[in-house]
Amino acid sequence: MSTVAHEPAAAGGNALPPAAPGGAAPADGGGTARAVLRRLRRRPAALISAGVLALLVLLALAAPLITALTGQDPHTYHDDLVDSARGGVPVGPLGGVSAEHWLGVEPGTGRDLLARLLHGARISLLVAAGATVVQISIGVAVGLAAGLGSPLLDSLLSRVGDILVALPMLVVGIALTAVVPADFPRPLLLILLIGALGWGGTARIVRAQTLTLKRLDFVAAARLSGHGPWRVARRELLPSLGAPVITYAAVLLPANIVVEASLSFLGVGVKPPTPSWGQMLSSAQTWFRADPMYVLLPAGLLFVTVLSFTVLGEAVRTALDPREASRLAVGTRRERSGRPAGRLNGRLSGRLNGRPAGRPSGRSGAAQGPRPALGPSEPLKSPGPLRPQKKTLS
Amino acid sequence: MRQRSVISRRATAAAAAGLALVTAAACAGPQDGDAQGGGTGGDGKPRKGGTLTVLNAEPQTDFDPARLYTSGGGNVPSLVFRTLTTRNREDGAAGTEVVPDLATDLGRPNADATEWTYTLKEGLKYEDGTAITSADIKHGVERSFAAELSGGAPYLRDWLIGGSTYQGPFKDRKGLASIVTPDDRTIVFKLRKPEGEFPYLATQTQFAPVPRNKDTGTRYEERPLSSGPYKVVRNENDGERLLLERNPHWSQKTDQERKAYPDTIDVRSGLDSAVINQRLSTGSGADAAAVTTDTNLGPAELARVGADKELAGRVGTGRFGFVNYLAFNPKVKPFDDIKVRQAISYAVNRTSVINAAGGSALAEPATTFLPEKKAFGHTPYDHFPAGPSGNPDKARELLKEAGHENLRITLTHSTEQNRQTSPEVATAVQEALKKAGITVELQGLESNAFNEARWDAKKTPGFFLSRWGADWPSGAPFLAPIFDGRQIVEDGSNYNHAQYDDPAVNREIDAINKLTDLDAAAQRWGALDRRIGKLALDVPLFHPVYKRLYGKDVKNIVISDWTGVLDISQVAVK
Repeated sequence: MSTVAHEPAAAGGNALPPAAPGGAAPADGGGTARAVLRRLRRRPAALISAGVLALLVLLALAAPLITALTGQDPHTYHDDLVDSARGGVPVGPLGGVSAEHWLGVEPGTGRDLLARLLHGARISLLVAAGATVVQISIGVAVGLAAGLGSPLLDSLLSRVGDILVALPMLVVGIALTAVVPADFPRPLLLILLIGALGWGGTARIVRAQTLTLKRLDFVAAARLSGHGPWRVARRELLPSLGAPVITYAAVLLPANIVVEASLSFLGVGVKPPTPSWGQMLSSAQTWFRADPMYVLLPAGLLFVTVLSFTVLGEAVRTALDPREASRLAVGTRRERSGRPAGRLNGRLSGRLNGRPAGRPSGRSGAAQGPRPALGPSEPLKSPGPLRPQKKTLS
Repeated sequence: MRQRSVISRRATAAAAAGLALVTAAACAGPQDGDAQGGGTGGDGKPRKGGTLTVLNAEPQTDFDPARLYTSGGGNVPSLVFRTLTTRNREDGAAGTEVVPDLATDLGRPNADATEWTYTLKEGLKYEDGTAITSADIKHGVERSFAAELSGGAPYLRDWLIGGSTYQGPFKDRKGLASIVTPDDRTIVFKLRKPEGEFPYLATQTQFAPVPRNKDTGTRYEERPLSSGPYKVVRNENDGERLLLERNPHWSQKTDQERKAYPDTIDVRSGLDSAVINQRLSTGSGADAAAVTTDTNLGPAELARVGADKELAGRVGTGRFGFVNYLAFNPKVKPFDDIKVRQAISYAVNRTSVINAAGGSALAEPATTFLPEKKAFGHTPYDHFPAGPSGNPDKARELLKEAGHENLRITLTHSTEQNRQTSPEVATAVQEALKKAGITVELQGLESNAFNEARWDAKKTPGFFLSRWGADWPSGAPFLAPIFDGRQIVEDGSNYNHAQYDDPAVNREIDAINKLTDLDAAAQRWGALDRRIGKLALDVPLFHPVYKRLYGKDVKNIVISDWTGVLDISQVAVK
């Protein structure tokens, strides 16, 4: 990760703005968050992904209502809807699609697939989101501590991180499920398990970023002015870490859905009869020829979700990336289409004018020292600092 | 092949064999049965020659006669190791009979069946041309007592006089005094109690001859000396690939049971079950002459096979003596109340359970503990008629009488995907009991933890899914380990899940064990099963059915009711 410039002034200016929308300091980021949103809105793929995800979350939340509407629930067996002599394959076309069972029924049990998919989405999304939050929290804390702490602490934490990256989660999962009391809620266990074992990557990124940022003037200034590491981390570093962390979270979240799936696949995930996509895929794997619908439905949903997250994550990353801004400003596409960078500048400065005067961003006074030299508090909007940034692309 | 049946007898025996058994029990299941086909395999007379390929999931680990745990000598092992007696290689019920192999007869018991005398046939030879003697059989049995060669069934340790303390011939060179060899062709076994079913036990590979001067201890499994129609030419990765070729010194004249048509048998294991079934159904190249001895068709594959006539004609169907059941531990409340156990028996929906087990083609409803075969002494009964889909009303009524309305219980199961003790079956039971107002909490344990829990008398769960397979087709290895009160094992593998100890039942078990008339014994086992069934200590759920594919060129399919699987020794590929 070397998104940060060598040239202190430019880098200081560039590394920070994306930080504000990073959400670490929402109070500061109003203007830039809007900029990011606007940049996102320019990407149809991002909009579609966000729409799909919103729809999925909505469906998951409304699962009991929808299944009440169809008169089904995810647990009731319908022995008459499967052909026992043929291994329990659903009776009827497309895996038993009917007026009562809109997406057909599960082979072997005759349980309503729509109900199971919707209820499964609740678990899958909840576990994935919860695990991501845990991973990011631990990862950022450990990364910051490693980056700012003594070399000993750094190597200690880094090695722990390395070990965790190498630790096979499935084996640990199996071991844990044998030890953890049976009545411990499984979704929470999964969140903790995936969260506690999956923070290695985040910690590495945060540590690397911290080490780079630490050497920059505004951080040095903050440290020289006597602020302790805690305050430096909170006020100077965290905002700048927002971009990479958010980006990484967008990658982690779909990965966590898959991990939940594979854990449930091995029977160490959620407990039956609670449905989850992973559990459904696990039992569906042998049915791909005899009852394709049974495989395609959970697999398709998982695919769409993971794809949406990935596309949205990528879009957010680009939107947050100062280099993207520079590309927009001086980049090839707009130049070729004959639109000078000035157009963007004009827009940006126009918005800048409307920006309420206040605390420019989450920086300490000390760090703000060099900034006035760059002019307005939003370097992104000024083409000035963007040019040096280009040199730093690597 | 390893039958991996479950079973054990008494405390001492079980303690020693405990570990091996837990593993064996974990794998007990249709993996190792095979199928009954009724000779549908191909047309024309079977001829000698060719190579038979065996595609298996489980490798032939520890291919040493002392270490194999088999029912009736196993499938692949039986090609290499001949035993005193063996199973009758015939289709169906005739296949449950025990017949002489190395011996001239089934053994001659003394008056109370505590002493069994066998005479070896003449002209028996090993693969190197040396003669097989009774001393070799004695050595073969003795070495199975060595700790480093453990793995076999625990009966010998329990039955033979001095068996419980004997350390094996490597530590104790004097040998076991209860096995006597008056001459080269005679061997006498002296038992500490009457055992009318000793001829069944003598089918196990521990009764294969091993010459003392060729015994390399733990390394014997790499190059065991063959007494059967094939010898081991290659053994790679501890039985993952086993290449067998004809043993020139084996003679059909002394062996009426094995046909040995193919010249070569190539056993390849460690394959995924989906791969095995796919290869068998495609049948290209060497796979056309392939069989599997341990892989069932899954429910999804069955749905496909049903639509394909050619494939359907290549499915062997068989029934191994096996039962899947819900076990109660009455030491745990509320299962101490017989009304609760009866209510659950009434509430069970066997249709859902069978669907979870793979559908009606792979499982048949069971209301008796004993498998539905004459050899087991099966006596039909259904003390708590639940019908095909359960009788929740009757269950509610019983619970009300017992004052257990809104009952909440925990069902322990394995997370292993075996369709027997797996989550699918547990969920089907849970759903059926819900209709009777019983809330079932599922407790899924990883398969080793599951076996540890259910076979440990101190922490046996109150209510769990279990299964039992036969070491030989009789009621004895089915009922005695589970309902004989003297088989309750405090430290070690305890299969008496209910810790049921009724002196009258124990006496009856002893009385039946004295019988050497196996048909008479079977009848009494059936009656005993019926009698114990009234106590609702378990809920029989289903007996599995084995459905296995075999290759296009495979002929002479024989599937006995003993193993339920196609017998490799009968198969021809030409």
